Amino acid sequence: MANGRLRIKDISRPGDDPLVFMNMSELMPVPNLGEEPSIEPTPQKFIDKYEMSLDGHCSIGIPKPKTKEEEDHLVRRFLSGLEKLFNSEESWTFQQALRLSFDYCVKCQTCSEACHAYLASGRQEIYRPTYRAEILRRIWKKYFTPEGKLLGRFVGADVDVNWRTVTRLAELGHRCTLCRRCAQRCPMAVDNALIARELRKLFSQELGIAPMEILEKGCVQHLRVGSSTGLNPPGMLDTVAFMEEDIGDRIGKKVKIPIDKKGADILLIHNAGEFLSWPENPEAFAILFEAAGISWTLSSEPVAYDAVNYGLWNDDVELARVAARHTLAAKKLGCKKVMIGECGHATKAYVVIADRVLTGDLSSSEIQRESCLPLLWEIIRSGAIKFDPSRNNFPVTLHDPCNMVRAMGIVKPQRLALKAIAPQFREMTPNSVYNYCCGGGSGYAIIQSFNFPQWRNKAGARMKMHQTLQAFKNELDPNKVPFKYLCAPCSNCKGTIRDAITHYGLWDKYNLNYGGLVELMVNSMVDIDRPFIEYEDFH
Amino acid sequence: MGIPVYLAWLSVVVFIVMVIYRFSKFNSMPLHLRWEIYPLPLEPKHHYGGSYMEELDYVPKPRHHIRINGILDMASEVFLLKKVREYNIYGMWPFSFSMHWGIYLLFVWMILMLAEGVLNLGVIAPVTNVCGIIALIVGTFGSLGLLLKRISNSELANYTVPVDYFNLLFMLSIFATGLISWITTGQYFFDDARAFLAGVVSLQPAAVSSWTVAHFTLFELFLIYMPFSKMLHYIAKYFTIDKVFWDDILNLKGSSIDKKITSQLSGKLTWSAPHIVQGKNWAEQVGIIDGRDIK
Repeated sequence: MANGRLRIKDISRPGDDPLVFMNMSELMPVPNLGEEPSIEPTPQKFIDKYEMSLDGHCSIGIPKPKTKEEEDHLVRRFLSGLEKLFNSEESWTFQQALRLSFDYCVKCQTCSEACHAYLASGRQEIYRPTYRAEILRRIWKKYFTPEGKLLGRFVGADVDVNWRTVTRLAELGHRCTLCRRCAQRCPMAVDNALIARELRKLFSQELGIAPMEILEKGCVQHLRVGSSTGLNPPGMLDTVAFMEEDIGDRIGKKVKIPIDKKGADILLIHNAGEFLSWPENPEAFAILFEAAGISWTLSSEPVAYDAVNYGLWNDDVELARVAARHTLAAKKLGCKKVMIGECGHATKAYVVIADRVLTGDLSSSEIQRESCLPLLWEIIRSGAIKFDPSRNNFPVTLHDPCNMVRAMGIVKPQRLALKAIAPQFREMTPNSVYNYCCGGGSGYAIIQSFNFPQWRNKAGARMKMHQTLQAFKNELDPNKVPFKYLCAPCSNCKGTIRDAITHYGLWDKYNLNYGGLVELMVNSMVDIDRPFIEYEDFH
Repeated sequence: MGIPVYLAWLSVVVFIVMVIYRFSKFNSMPLHLRWEIYPLPLEPKHHYGGSYMEELDYVPKPRHHIRINGILDMASEVFLLKKVREYNIYGMWPFSFSMHWGIYLLFVWMILMLAEGVLNLGVIAPVTNVCGIIALIVGTFGSLGLLLKRISNSELANYTVPVDYFNLLFMLSIFATGLISWITTGQYFFDDARAFLAGVVSLQPAAVSSWTVAHFTLFELFLIYMPFSKMLHYIAKYFTIDKVFWDDILNLKGSSIDKKITSQLSGKLTWSAPHIVQGKNWAEQVGIIDGRDIK
């Protein structure tokens, strides 16, 4: 238990020693987890070169400043960014929510027990939802408010900004998955997740500092090349051809995947990570949509064949750029609606957040924007396709992607679908809007740099693995129950879950697999004479 | 003795003006991006956390909010501190609940005494007295409890700054002076309190016990101080809940939201990161792939 040992002001302390370092003996116990890899110490080569002094982990890789000028530059830019964050013109996007969360938190710590990372880490103070918010609040008071300048420590204006404060804060902004479970529990509706998000925005928009996978290889590459995966338009056409061939191999039938089909009702946009890691997911969409007679298309327009919008996590400008291009592509094709595949953040970014970025002819009354989950349930409910649930006669549980459930209220469609096609479906606890994050929210699923995956697996995804093992606790023996399926209708959640299952060895120990919802649907289609899910394959 | 009487008028004026001013400041902040969270009490599907986004083709469909659910939800927070009771592991609820009710009842007590005097409602005097005594007892218990809790629990103390202790001490001093006055003067306390308020109304200061004067003076200073402090959170809370967490209104072409956002998109940006072009407005930024292509 690290509670109480770490002070708010410690964020500014000098030296390479991390403020905390997770300890195996302090991690939250997980029944049935069995042996797990130990926590590796921070490699010295990282310590020598990069900012690692927060918790010995690193998601960004900020090089240590070499000169006093570089140190001062970091401090200056940080403070200038903080000032802009509270400027209504520069940062209107979340000004009201941020300002009120900042000024009126009563620090009752009711939110702490909601946080999966705080709990999983053994309640390390540094991961408490209020820790980073309080640091930022005290800095703001000290440098920008009259009462802070006049009354100083009395009003809590007592955190110094030096280069260590800045670089540690940049990392600390990336120890919250923005799942907003803390906000849901706050009696004041204070949103510490939003404060974390806005802290990241400060770094991204003012200093250009963000995890490489989110900004440079994320948004920037998405806008420049067409996809955050690096997939360009000709590559997209090749991918579609590959998927058509793969569908033929999998189900013994030919399915034509429409691309750039003018006048289609729906422009379907997948997280392009699916094409590379789980092509069976977009293939399943194609099989279902064709069988149900839906008028739809994919796009080969740059940006519009990749639903991701990493600006959601740290950058309003990048968010707006991507969202606008998605909508413009739909207009160009004459589609009535844009639908996002199984990807939580992309759905929330486009359907909810971008709702007040896209105005006039791009607004929702002109081009509708929806999650795919209601349509998937409608396909089952309407009887457009016949399903045989007995083909999915294995234990299935559901992970609720925070972005589609807690942040959008899409709760029932996926449950109704699973109840209809998976006879051994059971809920995990807690679930629906009260779920725990997978541990990969806000971009952590894709951050593979430095030793960040270790933090994600140990602190981020530990709670989800705990919940999953509890859901299957009576069927863990692989000899008695040879296949278990964790259904996660979200690309980023799947990426995190894949890595966590691998890290904890749960496929080898228990034959615990994972996947999306559409794979289960196709697996139970009466018209297909073979399983769609490959029961021996974990990838 | 005259100062507390004149201060009473000043405090009421400052309190009302500042609360209105703060409310209008919060209300005039820019319209933000949607950031709702579920379960959303206004939603017809709130009982399981659902929303209109569970439906196909929801944009043109009529939607409605169940306002009464929102009022009940907010009331359960204001009057029962429901989330603190359910989720706070530091045992703060009994104290926080008591302190908040102490404040509510203190206001009610003052209003009842004024009503008695102005409207000649002597018949409600027993109720008024009970209300006052409960306010002072639970208020003292709650504010003292919270103060000790924050001092003694290192996890809470880590986040509590001197002004937070000052606020609690301030609250405690108001309740405690009233309580001491009641304990030391017994039934005369109520007569003193009424005489003091009658003096305020008539601008004719009355001779009352020094503890009673201290109690009312502290309360008046509290009214002046509160709108400048974090204790204004009851106003902020209306906005964080109703205007942020419960705001699920769609943007439709030509709507008032559409107009507001369009206007806000004309603001210029000076963020300095390489991918942003300084000096361009939001709408212009959207057309750019990467600021480095232009710089």
